[in-house]
Amino acid sequence: MDERSNVSPNMIKMWRVYRTVKEMCMDRGYEMLKEDTDISLDEFAARFAKEDGEPDRGRMHFSCQPTEAMLVKYTDSPTPKNPNPVPQIGTIWIEFNSDDAVGLKQLRDYMQHLVNGSFYSGIMVVQKPMTGMALRLLRGSASIEEGPKGGVEVFVEQDLLVNITKHELVPKHVLLSKEEKAQLLQRYRLKETQLPRIQVTDPVAKYLGLRRGQVVKIIRKSETAGRYASYRWAI
Amino acid sequence: MTPKSILKNSTVSTNEPSATSKPYTQRHRDVALQHASIIEEQKRVEKEVLDAIMTLMDFPTSPTADPMRPSPSDALFFQGLMVNFQPSDYDSLIEERNIADRCGYALCPRPKKKAPSKARKHFIETDKGVEIVDRRTLEVWCSDDCARRALYVKVQLSEEPAWMRRGGVNDKIELLVENAEDHHKALPLRLKQEAAPKPAKSEEEEDVASAWAARDDALADLALERGEKPGRLSKANKDLLRTHIQERVQTAPSVPPEPPTQLSGQSHMAIEGHIPRADRPKDEDEEDDGTDWDKHLPG
Ligand SMILES: [Zn+2]
Repeated sequence: MDERSNVSPNMIKMWRVYRTVKEMCMDRGYEMLKEDTDISLDEFAARFAKEDGEPDRGRMHFSCQPTEAMLVKYTDSPTPKNPNPVPQIGTIWIEFNSDDAVGLKQLRDYMQHLVNGSFYSGIMVVQKPMTGMALRLLRGSASIEEGPKGGVEVFVEQDLLVNITKHELVPKHVLLSKEEKAQLLQRYRLKETQLPRIQVTDPVAKYLGLRRGQVVKIIRKSETAGRYASYRWAI
Repeated sequence: MTPKSILKNSTVSTNEPSATSKPYTQRHRDVALQHASIIEEQKRVEKEVLDAIMTLMDFPTSPTADPMRPSPSDALFFQGLMVNFQPSDYDSLIEERNIADRCGYALCPRPKKKAPSKARKHFIETDKGVEIVDRRTLEVWCSDDCARRALYVKVQLSEEPAWMRRGGVNDKIELLVENAEDHHKALPLRLKQEAAPKPAKSEEEEDVASAWAARDDALADLALERGEKPGRLSKANKDLLRTHIQERVQTAPSVPPEPPTQLSGQSHMAIEGHIPRADRPKDEDEEDDGTDWDKHLPG
């Protein structure tokens, strides 16, 4: 605890948030070095503290590229109509907003930044929940021309203090590729609508950035049955 | 209809279910369709309100516009967008403009007022003495004048969501302007003389008249709520807004205030319940104060 005594509580808090975001990017399949997710508090403070010892959110932003595996997962199988499908994923831009209140202005500026920088999607981390109108814009942002292709996700710092997927009671969630999903439905002769569901607003679904229509495999450990898997359709 | 037996009943004729259930399915379908159309309508209105707020965040169209004398086109546009708004949407508009550092009144190009410091609570001097107010309350408008003009619009908005309004929309949102003469040709501004009852009204006129009456009742209720006495000049009466606000100029050494006199004679000088000190003897019965508008602020 010695090393922490000279670091401000806000700095420790931001360090946790930052690490969770890095882990989240890695777990989604973006290129990320393990040591990046393991950054020490000292190093974090050295890189991101302002003169007064408070975290400088304005300098924490970063971008990530999808790994090969992620690109494959997000690419449709070729069809005669579309023999060379492009991956529905790309570079992501992560920004930590430092404003007291975040509304339409910041959200639209952020979207503009993503479009100008040709980013596929973005994550904005905010200190407090956005305004109702900004949330309304965000809900419709998939269909909004002014935003980036892959949409914008917003997280509140508070929700990232702890990485929920690291909790022992949270089973492992793995996103299926389109091909894997097709195989699953074929094997069990199911329609996707027959699968149990998971809301895209579910905390784990949010963590993985699930989109409507995707299927996750949930792997549980059971004392009686060993490991077993179930599948859920994101709505 | 008698309750259906849960036991197999071989005597039920095969065409009976279709005969009785058909009207039911039809009704269910109608209800479902009606629900779907309400939800559809709600989505449409919510999208329109969002778009309206995004447009009004960059309002007025000219950086030198005067909120007292808006351009007819800005005023007409603003009024038109307000038709769909509920008071809570209006709060959102103010909130979003404030986040963008603008005065909460959509026809004002000025930045919002800045509190003296970033502290959450501030001591401010009012006629009632020193009060503690939230910083956010101080940083909503550029001036009390804009607060009054903005809230004059808010009190006219319907609490009922636009997608539920059966009697059609209220398309008569009035603005407080001082260049009414520039507007009344272009705008549906209400002129006092027109309120006089005319004989043999058409049904449409009747509706319009009753809509105005309902609005007047609402404004009267509001006045009561604010502690105004019936029959007295309303604080939200646009007639008194033609008065000029007199700046306080020190011309003579200060003298002790005179004893209270009848305040009603001064009410034409009132600005949201305040009578500027320069023109007003000190009084004790200040029931309402200049901050009664902060009740209407978002969160
Ligand atoms: Zn103003």
